[in-house]
Amino acid sequence: MKFNINSTGYVFGFAAVVCIVCGVLLSAVSEGFREKQELNFDLDIKKNILKAVVLKEPIPAQAKGPDVLKVYENKIEEVVIDKDGNVVEGIKPKDIKGKEGLFPLYIYREDEEVVSYAFPIVGQGLWSTLYGYLALEGDAVKVRGITFYKHGETPGLGAEIEKEWFQNNFKGKTIYSLEKKALTPIIVVKGKAANHAQGEALNHAVDGITAATITGNGVTEMLDRTLRLYEPYFSKVRKIS
Amino acid sequence: MPEALLSQKNKKIIKDGLWDANPVTFQILGICSSLAVTTQLKTAMIMAFGLTFVTAMSNVVISCIRNFIPPQIRIIVQLTVVSALVITIDQILKSYMYDVSKQLSVFVGLIITNCIVMGRLEAFAMGNPPWKSFLDGLGNGLGYSSVLIILGTIREIFGSGTLLGFSVVPKAFYAAGYVNNGMLVLAPGAFFLLGCIIWIQRSLSRYVEGQ
Repeated sequence: MKFNINSTGYVFGFAAVVCIVCGVLLSAVSEGFREKQELNFDLDIKKNILKAVVLKEPIPAQAKGPDVLKVYENKIEEVVIDKDGNVVEGIKPKDIKGKEGLFPLYIYREDEEVVSYAFPIVGQGLWSTLYGYLALEGDAVKVRGITFYKHGETPGLGAEIEKEWFQNNFKGKTIYSLEKKALTPIIVVKGKAANHAQGEALNHAVDGITAATITGNGVTEMLDRTLRLYEPYFSKVRKIS
Repeated sequence: MPEALLSQKNKKIIKDGLWDANPVTFQILGICSSLAVTTQLKTAMIMAFGLTFVTAMSNVVISCIRNFIPPQIRIIVQLTVVSALVITIDQILKSYMYDVSKQLSVFVGLIITNCIVMGRLEAFAMGNPPWKSFLDGLGNGLGYSSVLIILGTIREIFGSGTLLGFSVVPKAFYAAGYVNNGMLVLAPGAFFLLGCIIWIQRSLSRYVEGQ
């Protein structure tokens, strides 16, 4: 059979065949690798939680997946809390997808003592949604660590949020004002924190990233919103009269 | 008489891509990615492998169907084939080298629009049989790879003092006041280096810019 390669019908037909063949191939590839990728994704999240809570014995950099999982299972307890700050029994963070009013919480213990509480933070940056974890010290006042594991910000500008220098700025800052006796989330300022705040207020401010003000505002917003959600729980932990 | 698999002509096709018509130093294509992924040798090697694979395979596929592709939509068809291959690579990286894929995902995606791939499809695969097209893709991919690996090696050794993540600059050097060259980690450092490589390669191959 002879086709006229320039006829409209042929062009449409050819395009359709190309689409179908490529579509089927790609679906097969994606389906074939899905399980493996989900495992990787899960492991990456657990690594990030471990990084946020700053383990007392850090995992060696060359540790393999199963080793990381073992440490995670030994040290981290996964719980779910509701909006009144009560622990909901018999349910794990992975089961609460899409359910309102329930929040995951990861508790890091050493020798039965709570060292850190970690929870996910999600918010809007400039170009993308930022995903990360915030970890508080056992006193639920000081920040122990923060990580960002997924975002699509500009490399060199907004993407600096994934760098050590930015994340280290959060360590030791406080989310609760002992003077005001109230929740006081941390804000990412424009420029140097020391130019914006003095004394007590400096405990609630960190340096911003030059040329990434909107990403910084996004971080401020997500910390504020998330901390308010978890405050009912942490106010019980804090035991400050 | 059928042509031998590696006849003189075919060898020339590979050599063109590698040396005489190297896509980076001769045609100045693919500069964007060769600056972006060469701060470390490891990422450079993976990118080099990815691009070589995609160029060679897409050349073969397009060459096989070249007589059936309607000229009006040939660019779209080429893009579709390239995208499908690139997505496959990205999926493989995500499954087996998750950390690398997190670093490289953006650039792997950009292979789709890499001028080298499209250029070879349009200039070579559309008019040549599959085996020759494969060699052409391979040659150009390897030409790009060699530049990437040279850049990656120099930048990692002098920019970070490591090679493939292992320290290569002795501690004694640092103690004696040696400092890593921070500029080599940034894009300008790569530009200067790339300029030098192009200069050296062109002097060796006696290339003269057309009047």
